[in-house]
Amino acid sequence: MTVKAYRLPRSLPEALGLLEEHGPELLVMAGGTVAMPLINEGISLPEAVMGLRLAGLDGLERTGDRLRIGATATLTQLLNQDAVPMLREAARNTASWSIRNMGTVGGNLFTPPPGGDVAVALLALDASVTLASTRGDRVLPLADFLTGFMRNELAEDELLVEIGVPIRSEATAYLKLGRKHANTPAVVTVAVRLEWRRERVADARIALGAVGPHAIRAREAEALLIGTTLEAEAIAAAADAATQGCEPFTDGISTEWYRRRMVGLFVRRALEQLTPGTREGGR
Amino acid sequence: MSSDLHVVGQSVDRSDGIGHVTGRTRYFADRSFPGMLHLKMVRSPLHHARITGIDLADAERVPGFVRALTSRDVPHNLYTILGLIGVEPEEEYVLAEDRVRFKGEAIVAVVAESEAAALEAVSKVRLDLEELPAVFDVEEALRPGAPIVTSWGNNTFMYEGHPCRRVRLGDVEAAFGRADHIVEGVYNTSPIEQAPVETTGCIAVPEANGRYTVYTNTQALYFSLDNTAIILQVPGKQLRFVGGTVGGGFGGKVDVIVEPIATLAAMKTNRPVRYAYSRSEEMQVSSTRSAWRIYVKDGVSRDGHIIARKVTSYADSGAYSRQTPYALTKHAANAAGPYAIPNVSIDAYCVYTNRQPSSAMRGFGVTMASFALEVQMDKIAERVGVDPWTIRFINAYRNGDMKPHRKRAEDATLIETMQAAAVLVGHELPDDLIAMTSSPRDASPSGGGA
Amino acid sequence: MASTIISFELGDREVEVMVRPMTTLQAVLRNQLGLTATKDGCRQGGCGSCTVLVNGEPMLSCLLPVEDVAGKRVTTLESITPAEGLHPIQRAFLDAHALQCGYCTPGMVMVSKALLDHDPAPSDDSILQALTGNICRCTGYRPIVEAVRRAAGAMSGSAGEQAR
Repeated sequence: MTVKAYRLPRSLPEALGLLEEHGPELLVMAGGTVAMPLINEGISLPEAVMGLRLAGLDGLERTGDRLRIGATATLTQLLNQDAVPMLREAARNTASWSIRNMGTVGGNLFTPPPGGDVAVALLALDASVTLASTRGDRVLPLADFLTGFMRNELAEDELLVEIGVPIRSEATAYLKLGRKHANTPAVVTVAVRLEWRRERVADARIALGAVGPHAIRAREAEALLIGTTLEAEAIAAAADAATQGCEPFTDGISTEWYRRRMVGLFVRRALEQLTPGTREGGR
Repeated sequence: MSSDLHVVGQSVDRSDGIGHVTGRTRYFADRSFPGMLHLKMVRSPLHHARITGIDLADAERVPGFVRALTSRDVPHNLYTILGLIGVEPEEEYVLAEDRVRFKGEAIVAVVAESEAAALEAVSKVRLDLEELPAVFDVEEALRPGAPIVTSWGNNTFMYEGHPCRRVRLGDVEAAFGRADHIVEGVYNTSPIEQAPVETTGCIAVPEANGRYTVYTNTQALYFSLDNTAIILQVPGKQLRFVGGTVGGGFGGKVDVIVEPIATLAAMKTNRPVRYAYSRSEEMQVSSTRSAWRIYVKDGVSRDGHIIARKVTSYADSGAYSRQTPYALTKHAANAAGPYAIPNVSIDAYCVYTNRQPSSAMRGFGVTMASFALEVQMDKIAERVGVDPWTIRFINAYRNGDMKPHRKRAEDATLIETMQAAAVLVGHELPDDLIAMTSSPRDASPSGGGA
Repeated sequence: MASTIISFELGDREVEVMVRPMTTLQAVLRNQLGLTATKDGCRQGGCGSCTVLVNGEPMLSCLLPVEDVAGKRVTTLESITPAEGLHPIQRAFLDAHALQCGYCTPGMVMVSKALLDHDPAPSDDSILQALTGNICRCTGYRPIVEAVRRAAGAMSGSAGEQAR
């Protein structure tokens, strides 16, 4: 390995200082589960690396109606919280025990598809991200943070330090299809959250993984559900819209045509889980 | 008497079990030697290309670089693994000479003081390659005008002058004319990587007495020693191969791939040399089970007896044949299946393409025939309107039946095995199938016949 | 390229190593400390054969720069193997024929140890979930799950019977 310097800052100010010192060539690493394979394989040959594991960004706390997740909180920490059930489900569906002990929630936002299964849930939950720099902090909706394949709103001198998730009571559904039952990249991942008012859908979030350059919202499908009672025709229309509106790709895990077929199927299944009568609170 | 038996009837610990559960078992990579060097390989990034230049200048300047080996350094660079059992011609290169035939083919061996230095030096070797058209499908490879992978003008392995293994019994064409049904199918299988958890590798150590001890996880210890001796042009007694501790093989460690070049590097540097495949090399470079395409045409009588079977098989050997010619021979002997068929024609081709070379994997040549034939049997059952159990019972071979490759069946047990399987899965067989046995046909009054 | 000195607890002792930046814990254990029970199957975090415990939690040593475990407690298969006899988990793996080539075994044993430390009476589903990160190409996994069941039984039933 050609790494000449590996820095482990003990605080956020120290981390931001190192970012300034080394500039954009500094490889920033949290859990290492994405960066280390590339370094071990000789695909990534950084000279300077900064690890964030010890920088005090791993808190996980509930303050009022918000869950504040430190960027380097591990997936295991997410699995063990009970404030937001869908995040527990997402963590459970991601990787394996050892990887969850190392991989971080923040890191999952930078993991390219077909990874990023926690990002899909966070998107459906209207999560926001806090970006910090020596110039100050700013908060963005996660939906605005992800801008393209391996591209996001993070400025060169910024670090993602926290993810905020509103704690609400509506039912959610999270489904992931992989090549095995566990520890598998996704063929497709679906996360759904619905808000109801007087027996009708008032608002909807349908987030999809592994069928686009990053976790995406199926906005047309969401719009089709508003005002419905989630009857079969509405579900079918939403599933169809989600199928048309995504950009699946072919890779070693699955093919474009199969992913597209599975999007419709799994959006339908997720919505059926939330149909009144079968609805389980907080599942 | 049972009191005298200390092993029979007892549960006995595996002799290597304690080593495995305590982690004390020494796999080759658990050994290290003072002064040990690391070998990493420069590989072709293209599927098919002419090599017009190799520039080592930048690689040689990497701190820790010790030595690079090219084809010119290898005493007997052209070899074939099965040459030891008389298979010709020698066709594979330890290190590529003027042409690479598959993505990942070895070109330059770089030896350095550390793995990191070796990897860095590998990344700095500059190759001048002129890309050539490539072929990835067995039938395309046999069409006129296809890119030619071999050095002898066609993409076929020759068996004593024949382009395929041939099996003939009776007259299939005449039997097709008599058949009530013709059932056809084409079956494709993919290459499969054995994927042992331990990757391929060895450490070659120069000894004070001029011999070389090679610690290796090959599945074929003497095979590897003899081929190494030929490649390095040294007497076999100069080599001592230590192995037998393999972290999974399944056929993925029967090719002679790492020992010759590692031993040569040890000779040239007079230091121990370690050459271990990375995980991506294990998955993408090391040999796989062959992909196959199998055409089956069956002539079937009204009541479900197969009276003629014609099989045309193509094994995708990839860029080099390795063990595939042997796999194909076994395949040809088994490609009619465990059934009594009086008219059989089998043509089985070993075809070269620009894919990763294929070689051995469990079931070696026969597994894919089983897949194709058993799906075919279900097709026949459906076409003829006969139960899938029945179709197999009435066609099953029995002792004394002539098999297509001209051997009489002995110790046939298909019928009894299916009867036992039916019991296990709770399937009730009709009385006539329960009464069947594998005893010779002329001895059994109720036996069916061809 | 400046090397640094990293110290951490390993089993029941304190170790100190001098390392180039980002040397993995796997490389330190195998190459510097001669502790080769921790295996090296992929360096991608995909096979689990390099599993060790860090402060009692399973982690993949091939993805862990040793700097990240400074001051922490690392447990390897060597750490839990008694000087004489076998740990109950090791005995259970032998009895249940939960190994063939043996290469995945160290990782499987370490994850099993972590599981049983957290949950002395795991359900079959918990056992499966715990083992999903460890690949075995030989046994088909069922004997390994059986081994963990037996170890759970042995360890809860007889706290004093550590070595046989």
